[in-house]
Amino acid sequence: MKRRTILGSALSLPAAWAAPAPAQTAPPPAETAVKLAFDSPEAAAAGVRRFFDETEFAALERLGRLLIPSAEGLPGAVEAEAALFLDFLIGQSPAERQTLYREGLRALHAAARQRWGKAFAAVSDEEAAPLLAPLRQAWTRSAPHDPLARFLLAAKDDFWQAVANSRAQARALSGRRRGASGLGLYWHAAE
Amino acid sequence: MELHDVLIIGSGATGGMAAYTLTRLGVKCLMLDAGPPVDLEKDRSLRPVSDLPYRGFGQPGRFPHVTQANEFNANVWADEKQNPYTYDAGAPYYWVRIRKIGGKTLLWGRASWRLSDYEFKCRDHDGFGDNWPISYQELAPYYDRVEPLFRVAGRNEGWPQMPDGNLLPDDSRDSGSVQRFIASAKRLGVPTTKPRRATGTLASSVNLLLPEALASGHLRIVPNAIVREITLDRATGLANGAHFVDRRSKRDFHVRAKVIVLGASCLESTRILLNSGIANSSGVLGHYLFDQFYVKNVVQCVVPEARGGKGGRSLMGGGGYIPRFRNLAKREKDFIRGYAYDFGSGHTPHPRYVPLYGEALRKEMQELEGAGFAMTTMGEVLPRRENHVRIHPGVRDAWGIPVLHITQRYTENEFRMARDSMEVAEQLCRGAGFEILGKHAEPVPPGESIHELGTCRMGADPRTSVLNRYNQSHDVKNLFVVDGSAFVSGGVQNPTLTMLALTMRACEYLVEQKKRGEL
Ligand SMILES: Cc1cc2nc3c(=O)[nH]c(=O)nc-3n(C[C@H](O)[C@H](O)[C@H](O)COP(=O)(O)OP(=O)(O)OC[C@H]3O[C@@H](n4cnc5c(N)ncnc54)[C@H](O)[C@@H]3O)c2cc1C
Repeated sequence: MKRRTILGSALSLPAAWAAPAPAQTAPPPAETAVKLAFDSPEAAAAGVRRFFDETEFAALERLGRLLIPSAEGLPGAVEAEAALFLDFLIGQSPAERQTLYREGLRALHAAARQRWGKAFAAVSDEEAAPLLAPLRQAWTRSAPHDPLARFLLAAKDDFWQAVANSRAQARALSGRRRGASGLGLYWHAAE
Repeated sequence: MELHDVLIIGSGATGGMAAYTLTRLGVKCLMLDAGPPVDLEKDRSLRPVSDLPYRGFGQPGRFPHVTQANEFNANVWADEKQNPYTYDAGAPYYWVRIRKIGGKTLLWGRASWRLSDYEFKCRDHDGFGDNWPISYQELAPYYDRVEPLFRVAGRNEGWPQMPDGNLLPDDSRDSGSVQRFIASAKRLGVPTTKPRRATGTLASSVNLLLPEALASGHLRIVPNAIVREITLDRATGLANGAHFVDRRSKRDFHVRAKVIVLGASCLESTRILLNSGIANSSGVLGHYLFDQFYVKNVVQCVVPEARGGKGGRSLMGGGGYIPRFRNLAKREKDFIRGYAYDFGSGHTPHPRYVPLYGEALRKEMQELEGAGFAMTTMGEVLPRRENHVRIHPGVRDAWGIPVLHITQRYTENEFRMARDSMEVAEQLCRGAGFEILGKHAEPVPPGESIHELGTCRMGADPRTSVLNRYNQSHDVKNLFVVDGSAFVSGGVQNPTLTMLALTMRACEYLVEQKKRGEL
């Protein structure tokens, strides 16, 4: 009965959808435990922006493209959908981190307007260079006093990790070298 | 109600060793542990980081004090909301806990060094603090037995500050970068050796100690049993059992026992004693909290010849250890005691060390792949009475048990040592021809080294110590506290091997005493 229903609906579909059903095999014994395969949401769908407003998010996306462009078959921030991921991550973060990002993005935007008369989202690579000068300072353990510099350093780290650990990166590296898949030993919650 | 011969509280390194030692001697034990059991086959699986909901970052804010937490191991650490604690404003303490059967040995790094008389008799060397009531010679036979049990591998060097062990010999060849570093250290008169570590990826209470104890038929383990307090028989002054709460149902229980061995980890054991209001006629319980300070990546370098993927196995990889070398024969610096280093070769430095972005950053990161060399300082922290824990008058955990308020600050002695360690590390690496990407001298916050020690110290004098030379309470004769809380000083050595040796010794003494009818 069930089978007939499925076939019936298959017949009404356009030709490309109506691949012939494989011959039916005997079902496994009802006691057999079968392992099913599942996918993560990011594999099947796009995240939705929730935290940053449009201007902030546009600046964040532009920053991501500048920090980690794609190269030699490797994804950059765009392909890794890193800005959308950071919108989610920062949206869930403690208030201090949210403020660092919000104020940093606003400061970048304001600096671009003041220097180039346009939004940070619209600056060219050359125009962005003086605004990102703190990223060319030698590393020091103590965070810089300037909140914009602090934000830029944090964003560089976060974008780097968001890209390195993305599905796009895993796809690009699969088969390239051993250990590139980012496999780790995951501990499940007890009880 | 059943009367148990020995009640062991905690199933980690020290609780596990207590069970192992006592059951071998035929003693029937009941073990209570606050956490659930872990099935290492079913509760862990390999997963790609890209499949994790937070891409490896972990849920933000979940573990504000556990820098070791990541998205893979997040479910192992004790939940900070259910298990709160407090500290003075501006003096954060990072308390890193695992509440599961096996305790912190589920994740420990397995570095296993002996203490020496530079620690046991520290006051004799520089006049600061107190000596332990035991000497190295008294603990050496127990180290000799614990090391093979944990299959500790390393290299004996005959150094007084780092006594030789009963080790699996590590004769592995050093990579070229490590050889260059060792040569540089030699020129500066700084000793180096191989790492000393329990072999096997787990080397935990759950696979090395508890299985044999259970197989003896003398051990029963009750998981999810959070001990609230130890109870006393007012007539005899002896402990007669413990109250515990079932973690899942929050139901209260009382268990009766003739002897109690407390190994719930340094600060948890002291918390239980403070909440019980026992073993503190000295007023010292809770005081003299210390640990070891770490300066993580005190220098981060690049081995120039390994740039651009030219390293290879012969040049890169491996690592080693530098034992304490300061202030051994005479006072030579503006601080007392000393520090050790771990060093390692062959990792890729973090992009934060590279002052670039965009395409230039990517190219440079490709160049640096596998070309890193880094050192971490582990420094001695002076035990001071003012560093202490006490019960917070108002805050309780998820089971209604009063929590700890923790006060620990590093002092100028530690900061001076950290600065010296940075300067020496830089000299060592420059001498090896490495390029320095970054250096600093900022210790991690107290607690973060996960080597918390003291607060229930041993001593010969019951007026100034909580435990005697056998980890036995001066006040409550049938109570033994076997974890790191018993330490009087800690040196720079990772402390677990010493905890294990002390526990074995204390438990054998307990059985002897029992046989003699003195317990
Ligand atoms: C990531 C990591 C790396 C480390 N690396 C090293 C290293 O390389 N070398 C080294 O020497 N040390 C290392 N350590 C430290 C080492 O793990 C500890 O020193 C050691 O486990 C301490 O043993 P313990 O028995 O005192 O405590 P634990 O092993 O923590 O066990 C304590 C047990 O008591 C239970 N408990 C707590 N409170 C209660 C209560 N109220 N009632 C009942 N049960 C309770 C807990 O659930 C736990 O199972 C490391 C630790 C970590 C986490």
